[in-house]
Amino acid sequence: MLARILEEHKIATTALVMVREHAARVKPPRALFVPFYFGFALGKPDDPAYQHRVIKAALDLLDAESGPVLADFPEDGDPAIMPQASEVTAAPFQVSRNTADEITALRAFYERWVASHGGRTAVGLSGIPQRRFRGMIPFLESVARGQDADWPERPEEVSRPQFIRYCVDDLKAFYYEARMAQQPAADPDALHRWFWGSTAAGKLIADLAAQLNAAEDPTLRALAYGLAR
Amino acid sequence: MPRLETLSEVQRRTLEFFPCLENDTTPWVAPARDLAHSKVALVTTAGLHLRGDLPFARDAAGGESSYRVIPSDCHPAEVMQSHFSIGFDHTGLYRDLNVTFPMDRLRELAEQGVIGSLSANYYSFMGALRDPSRLMAETGPEVGRRLLAEGVEVALLTPT
Repeated sequence: MLARILEEHKIATTALVMVREHAARVKPPRALFVPFYFGFALGKPDDPAYQHRVIKAALDLLDAESGPVLADFPEDGDPAIMPQASEVTAAPFQVSRNTADEITALRAFYERWVASHGGRTAVGLSGIPQRRFRGMIPFLESVARGQDADWPERPEEVSRPQFIRYCVDDLKAFYYEARMAQQPAADPDALHRWFWGSTAAGKLIADLAAQLNAAEDPTLRALAYGLAR
Repeated sequence: MPRLETLSEVQRRTLEFFPCLENDTTPWVAPARDLAHSKVALVTTAGLHLRGDLPFARDAAGGESSYRVIPSDCHPAEVMQSHFSIGFDHTGLYRDLNVTFPMDRLRELAEQGVIGSLSANYYSFMGALRDPSRLMAETGPEVGRRLLAEGVEVALLTPT
């Protein structure tokens, strides 16, 4: 849709698309279908040569004389599908630590990850510094128990449900980045199964989602749907 | 994306019945110049923004049609994601921003002379909109005008 709007403004566009069926209906001017899972538009992280092949295939579509053009990236993608929390936590598991202690244990790995990536981290949506994440846990635990807890420094313009989501996203990013420093070769499936299957934080977020899912407020139920993924 | 037939029943049905607009025709602009002399911009629907900028949030319709400006010369550490969709894997972007937003790759192509130059600004929206009316009437055209004013001739669009 966006490609069509930009093209109408005299910008020649070429777009990577991940749902071929949608592109066939919307008809952007030039589209390259890429057979990768959502979140991997250019195929492979940390693989510049592969990413360049994807970009070249998209830019090559600019040579077409008329459109719409819907082409397929000629290489196969990784068929891996992201497991959901419910798939992993359905099996009984034992969590021996609490979330706050886990955070302390993972902190050195997280900081190593950030240092080795030029300061880059996905943590930061809540505005709570990672050094204060232990303090975030009682807040999330209260919400998971059904209490009407709030974070005292929540920005006025951010709703409480939205803020809960930002906290959860920050907590997940902290754990995953720490784990990637701890086990650099772990693939996405292993990362998700570790988080949802064997960490106290995974269990806390699953409990939080279950609690919100039972709420009468539809915005909380909508929020719950997105937490444990 | 994995082809629809490889997805879970829930995800496949969600995508099959997603209310995307259908069109019979396609707007078409031939590039003004060859790529080696064109100014190129990156536009994404990955819900990215600068650290410190307002994150994307979920509105009543389950999406948000606003956009964020990302300077093309910023450091990747300054870019973060607040896309609200639940249907994608974040681990790729945790590892490498370029897997969704290839700003380093475009910089390399400009240095190699494959593309002429980079626009000063890139633009980011949040995709998976169930109601694109504001995008179509307001924010999309606004970005189109901004790109045109910046002399952009080609835009590469990436999803998440």
